[in-house]
Parts: sequence; structure tokens; C-alpha cells
Amino acid sequence: MEHQMAGPLFGNLIIIAMSGAVTVGCFVAMFWMLLWPGETDRCHPKYDILRHDR
Amino acid sequence: MQPAAHPSSVLKQKDLELARVFAAYTISATAWLVFATFIGILLAYKFGAPDFGSGAWLTFGRLRPIHTNATFYGWASIALVGLAYYVAVRSCRTQLYSVRLAWVGLWLFNIAAIAGTIALDLGYNDGNLEYREWPWPIRLIFLSALLVTAWNLVGTVARRTTDDIYLSNWYTMGGVLWTCIIAVVAILPWYQYGLGQVAVSGYYMHNAVGMWFTPLALGIFYYALPKLLSRPIYSYALGVFAFWTNLVFYPIIGSHHFLFSPLPWWLQTTAIVFSVAMLVPVLGGSANFLLTMRGRFGQMRESYPLAFIFVGVIGYLVGSSQGTVEAFRSMQAVWHFTNYTVGHSHLTMYGFVNFAVWGCIYALLPAATGKYPGQAGLALHFWMALVGSFIYVLSLSIGGTIQGLNWIQGSPFIQSVVDMGPFHVWRGVGGILMFLSHVVFAWNVWCMTYGPSARAAPLVPALARDDTA
Repeated sequence: MEHQMAGPLFGNLIIIAMSGAVTVGCFVAMFWMLLWPGETDRCHPKYDILRHDR
Repeated sequence: MQPAAHPSSVLKQKDLELARVFAAYTISATAWLVFATFIGILLAYKFGAPDFGSGAWLTFGRLRPIHTNATFYGWASIALVGLAYYVAVRSCRTQLYSVRLAWVGLWLFNIAAIAGTIALDLGYNDGNLEYREWPWPIRLIFLSALLVTAWNLVGTVARRTTDDIYLSNWYTMGGVLWTCIIAVVAILPWYQYGLGQVAVSGYYMHNAVGMWFTPLALGIFYYALPKLLSRPIYSYALGVFAFWTNLVFYPIIGSHHFLFSPLPWWLQTTAIVFSVAMLVPVLGGSANFLLTMRGRFGQMRESYPLAFIFVGVIGYLVGSSQGTVEAFRSMQAVWHFTNYTVGHSHLTMYGFVNFAVWGCIYALLPAATGKYPGQAGLALHFWMALVGSFIYVLSLSIGGTIQGLNWIQGSPFIQSVVDMGPFHVWRGVGGILMFLSHVVFAWNVWCMTYGPSARAAPLVPALARDDTA
């Protein structure tokens, strides 16, 4: 029963490895952007929206 | 021949038309909120007094889908579309592509919601398909409302006078377009039976939240929060990144509602892994909003719109992270089919989406109409909704866990019902507070639209400090 519920081990490992790699990569990118947001150019749309909105 | 209108008077006329559209969507949505949550009160009451309302049209099986569908498609959908139109016009520095289409969309949303409510109460229900219980012809009307909205929203953004498409519009246009696809898939006849039905049910009911309400609410956040604070969003790039990661990870995770089912094991496993991956847009997005507010949290004492948005951000963070935890098989083994899930859905739809909608309406509707709600009304609405939802979610989370543990221990089913008794009472107490807060919100909406403005000038701009220089 337990084995049946766990599914084929190799298949699970492949799925976890592939989707896990994408997930870890995205986590790294997320923390990178949180720590170094940049975007200091005053022409950036995030500043623009505050200045010229009527 | 008519003399050419002065550009400023044309602009004023267009602003007035936009304000009317925004106000009409908000008023209509508010009526659905009050109705849907009144039905919610009836449902909560029936847990304590199951014999109350013995007529067929008052049975739990009919009232429950009326409550959920009216909340989803009457209240939240209509309110968010009204906000999305306003944000698109303002952030693109343009006019609404078609005012007439906006009115047509509003009528279609309402016709679908009214017809769906009547059909459900008469017993016409498409069965075990959560959040798509309306008979399919009525769902076609809802789909047509979505298509009209998508056309109008994309048309408005296409007519922008700005170089860039501001981040908010990515979210709102994305949300409307994705939901068109979801609504079409939900109707396809070859997915209405067997395992395909189960897979599509998970796909539809989960995405109705995460690919419709979530992107629209987040999109509005990205506009309203900088406006309230006069400060740009902390990281624009992270907002874009969260948009794409939400699109990549979210659509497949609906299957985590069907763990231990005959659905393919790889689909269930992928749903669990990507439920963890959803922490990327959730943590990144929440941190982005909170870092935008850094050093300004004290302003919530004077600015209730900001307080509503803050609670919405926390609701998004906690509710979505809770969803990730719930997706694990070991957790599902306890919580599946219990009231814990009902608490979770209210934490996300209420703690996140509702507070987001309220905060953004309070922030933006007065800017459109020039009318403001009173501070007492704002305070009453905020505290009753916050305390009510806190009681509601906490009681169902504790009670639901006890329920699940009872079942695991093999106790008689009736034991779990008896144990839930006090928590059902607390659920009703929380629900009544939430409903009363909606009545106050309706009054506030009236003040912001056609009723008497509570004050002539906003409190909020006085608080804002320009961080753009």
C-alpha cells in the first residue's frame, strides 16, 4: 500500500529534480532583486507614475 | 456645426464618465457583497440549527453555492474590474477605450450573477464542480462579460500615451485573459466526466482564485500603494518577476486539492512541488509591498486605506504560505475535507482579496468622485471586518484540525460533529461581525458616490511625503 501510494521512485525523483531546479533558481533571483533592487534612473516607469499621473 | 470643445472640458467629461463607471461597478459589487454574506450568515446559522429553513430553497446544498458564486462573480469580480478600469486609464494617461463596453460588461456580469443565483436556488446546479455550479449557459454569459472586459482593458492600454505599460496593467490584463481561458476550459464537454473532470475541477476552482482575483488584486496594489505613500514600489523588476512566476507555477497546482485521488501521481507530485515554488511570487511580492511601506507603518493610524492594504498584504502572505503547507501529503492527511479548508479559503478570499479591494476602493474612488467617507465609518468597517475574520478563521482552523485528528484516530463521525459545535458558534459570531462591517462599507460607498461626502478634502495626501525627487 505504502509503495503504491508513493508512486515510482525514479519518476518522482525526475519530477522533483526538474521542478526543484526551476524553483531554487527562482528563489535565488527573488532574493537578488530584494537585496539589490537598483532602478535608480528617474525616468523609470515606477517614478513616472507618481509624477505625471493626472 | 458644434463648436470644438475646449480640451480641458473634454478631459473633464471623460473623467466624469470614468468616475460614473467606477462608481457603478463599486455600487453593484457592494450590493452583491451584502447579499452574498447575508446568505453566509444563514449558512452559519444552519450549523447550529439545521432544521431552520426546511424549504427546498433554503437548504444548505442550494445556499452554499449561492454564497460562494455571488461572492466570487458578483462581489469580487465586479469590484476588481471597476478598479482595473480606473487604474488602466490613470496609469496609461489615456481614456477608457469604450465607456459603452464598460456598461455592457457590468450588465453582463450582473445578468450572469442574478440568473446563476436564481438557477441555484431553484435547484439547477451543474453538480460537483466547485465554483462553477451555475448551469453552463449562464457561465457563457459570464464568459462574455470577461471577453468584453478583456477587449476594453487591452484597448485602453493600447491607447496609452506612456512609453511603458505600467506593472499594474500587466497583472490586470493577464488576470482577465487567463480567466477567459480558464472559463472556456471549464465548459469543454469532454472534460465533464471521469478523471478529466476531476483534473479540470482542480484547475478551475483553484485558478478562479489564483489567476483571477490574485493578479487583479496585486495589480491594483502596485498602483494604489505608491499613490497612497507618494513613493514608488520598492522593486519594479521583482513585481514583473512575481507576475511571470505566478503564471508559470500557479496553473498546475490545483491538483493539490485532489491528493490521494486516482489522478496521476506525477500530477499530484508536480502540484506539491510547484505549491512550494509559489512561495517565490508570494514572499517576493509581499516583501516588495512591505519594503515599499518601510518607515511609514505609523501612517496607518491616520490612513485607513493604508491599513486595509496592509492587512491585505499580510493576508496574501499568510494565506498563500498556508496554502503551500496544506499542499503537503502529510498535512492533507489531517486537513482534507475538514473545516480547516473553509478557514483557509476565507483567509485568502477575505483576508487578502476583500481587504485589498476595500483598501484600493477607499484610496482611489474618492480621487475619481471627489467624495470621501467619514473616519468613523472607515474605522467601524476596518475593525469589525478584521476582528470578525480573525475569529472566523481561527475558530475554523482549530476546529478543523480537531475534526481531522478525530477522523485519523477512527472516532465515530458524530464525535467530530459534536467537537465542532463551539467552533461553529464562533464562526457565526465572526460572520455576523463581518456582515455588519459590509453594511458599514455600503454606507461608505454611498458617501463616496451619490450620497453626502463626509468631508471636503482627503486626509491621506496630507500624510504623503514626496519620495520621487
